[in-house]
Amino acid sequence: MKKLLRFTLSLVLLAGLLAGCAAPAAPNGGAIQLTDGLDRSVSLEQPAQRIVSLAPSATEILFAVGAGGQVVGRDSFSNYPASTAELPDVGGSMGDYSFEAIAKLNPDLVVLTEINTPEQVKSLEDLGLTVYYLKNPVALDGLYPMLESVGTLTGHDKEAAALVTSLKERVKKVQDTIAGAQTTPMVFYELDGSDAAKPWTSGPGTFVDQLIQMAGGSNVGAAMQDAWAQISLEQLLVADPDVILLGDAAYGMTPEQVAARNGWQTLKAVKEGKIYAFNDDLVSRPGPRLVDGLEELARIIHPELYK
Amino acid sequence: MKHTARPYLISLIILIAAALLSVLVGSVFIPPATLADLVKSGLLGQPSALDPNGSFAAILLKLRLPRTALLVLVGAALSGSGAAYQGLFRNPLADPFLIGVSSGAGAGAVIAMSIQWPYTTLGLMAVPIAAFSGAMLSVLVVTQLARVGKTIPTTNLILAGVSVSAFASALTSLLMINSTGELRRAIVWLMGGSTLTGWNPVLGALPYVIIGLGVLLFLGHPLNVMQFGDEQAQQLGVPVQRVRMVIIFTATLATSAAVAYAGVIGFVGLVIPHVVRLLWGGDYRRLLPLSMICGASLLLITDVVARAILAPQEIPVGIITALLGAPFFLWVLKRSKSQNYW
Repeated sequence: MKKLLRFTLSLVLLAGLLAGCAAPAAPNGGAIQLTDGLDRSVSLEQPAQRIVSLAPSATEILFAVGAGGQVVGRDSFSNYPASTAELPDVGGSMGDYSFEAIAKLNPDLVVLTEINTPEQVKSLEDLGLTVYYLKNPVALDGLYPMLESVGTLTGHDKEAAALVTSLKERVKKVQDTIAGAQTTPMVFYELDGSDAAKPWTSGPGTFVDQLIQMAGGSNVGAAMQDAWAQISLEQLLVADPDVILLGDAAYGMTPEQVAARNGWQTLKAVKEGKIYAFNDDLVSRPGPRLVDGLEELARIIHPELYK
Repeated sequence: MKHTARPYLISLIILIAAALLSVLVGSVFIPPATLADLVKSGLLGQPSALDPNGSFAAILLKLRLPRTALLVLVGAALSGSGAAYQGLFRNPLADPFLIGVSSGAGAGAVIAMSIQWPYTTLGLMAVPIAAFSGAMLSVLVVTQLARVGKTIPTTNLILAGVSVSAFASALTSLLMINSTGELRRAIVWLMGGSTLTGWNPVLGALPYVIIGLGVLLFLGHPLNVMQFGDEQAQQLGVPVQRVRMVIIFTATLATSAAVAYAGVIGFVGLVIPHVVRLLWGGDYRRLLPLSMICGASLLLITDVVARAILAPQEIPVGIITALLGAPFFLWVLKRSKSQNYW
């Protein structure tokens, strides 16, 4: 609702702006003007050619719209696609980026997301750099305009539009398949199970939560208060999930370890061996791979529909 | 005369060397030729031929110089206040955060971070302002709680400080756990990571640090006398209660400003006064200014390490201060001949 309001408002504003400069010269050819996630107005004389990305999701979006060749630097967490490994690392693993390294790369655009702070936006601005801040989408639909604006900034409008179309088609396909589901399995998504008595899980409103629902499952964590929360084993035993997904598989958690945990043997998912490693990057990064995550979730939650 | 000047000379030389090092070393290497050309062209007011797109100039003028300046202010504020507190409380474990500055600032900062501020100057200043207010407020609460009539007994002050700190830290943790946003920002801040870069933080902290430390510099003599105990000092003509209030206020002012912009940087304020005391004796007229100078140097040097060790990644300097500061302090302690220097 709020989104709709904002969209309408920006349309009205845009209309006003257009009306303001209606008759005389159209905006100078090729100049790009966008409003970013912090409501800052960002303008580029031409599509950005030297881009530094300060977040994995931004890096993935840049590569997905075909601007990978224009990326000249990335943060420490960016690891997809694999070719990002060759790009200079400008830090970020402790929340501190090396502004010196960024300045040295002499970028014409630095892309930040919500894992970055407004202070970092300001610091980069003070260095005379052009900064675009991507606000995390709250739902899958919010991803598409983000892809389109990154396409515009980098001169890949067409690729971005094609990407959006194909993503939408893939989502539709999953939804059509899931429409035939007879059951709604309970799914427990584990973010961090190093404390087996109260593992961390994804709460209501997160992409994990939304995608599990879209994939025809019911998220155990939806009952939590916060977006990221620790669930007590007692509650988990009551919920008795049908499927356990290990988002912490990347940190070495295995189905065997889960099955060996004290008190977990009574869980249905453990008894039936429905514990699966899951690539958390697919659902934790607000980028185009969310759709990959959705497809994978659907396959795990409703294997009977994918035979 | 020569003898009294020597510690100042030595520590100032170290400070200048540390400041130069801090400007010259960073995660990006600036070739000496480029640097010389930059300085030359800067003096002549021309663009440098070796730095066509100006990124080296930006690194020097907009990142390194202000960072060096801010660290000098912060190091001086923390160590100067630490020395004053150790004298005031006659307690070798006293540090600038003893009576609640850091935990108050932390609570203020995290409260401010839990709110989404619009991207405006005010929104960007919200965290430092909240940290500063939180620090001042918690010290105010502590002094009010510790007050007995017109006096503030030292024991009451420390106990009230510890309790209020514990309360504020718990509040901070609760806020962090409950926040839906980024925890990393708060964690980095609490470990002494940088928030804003550029000259604004320097200009923001400068007046408070200058006022706070400036007043402290005049309190060396009363602090010396107060080492004999409050009653003796009173009899010797030192207005103990007033001096105590002034020290608490000025030290809080300086450290709050430092913490507001640089986060919580531990250990500098505790260790540097001891190092200075071990090297050059416990006369507060000397101890205070020398602590300020050496605190600035230590923070500059640890920051160089923090930037260089894992380049291009930067480590919050608060981690390195303790990592380097503790062994250094132990070395000085072990090396010192006197058994009871305190």
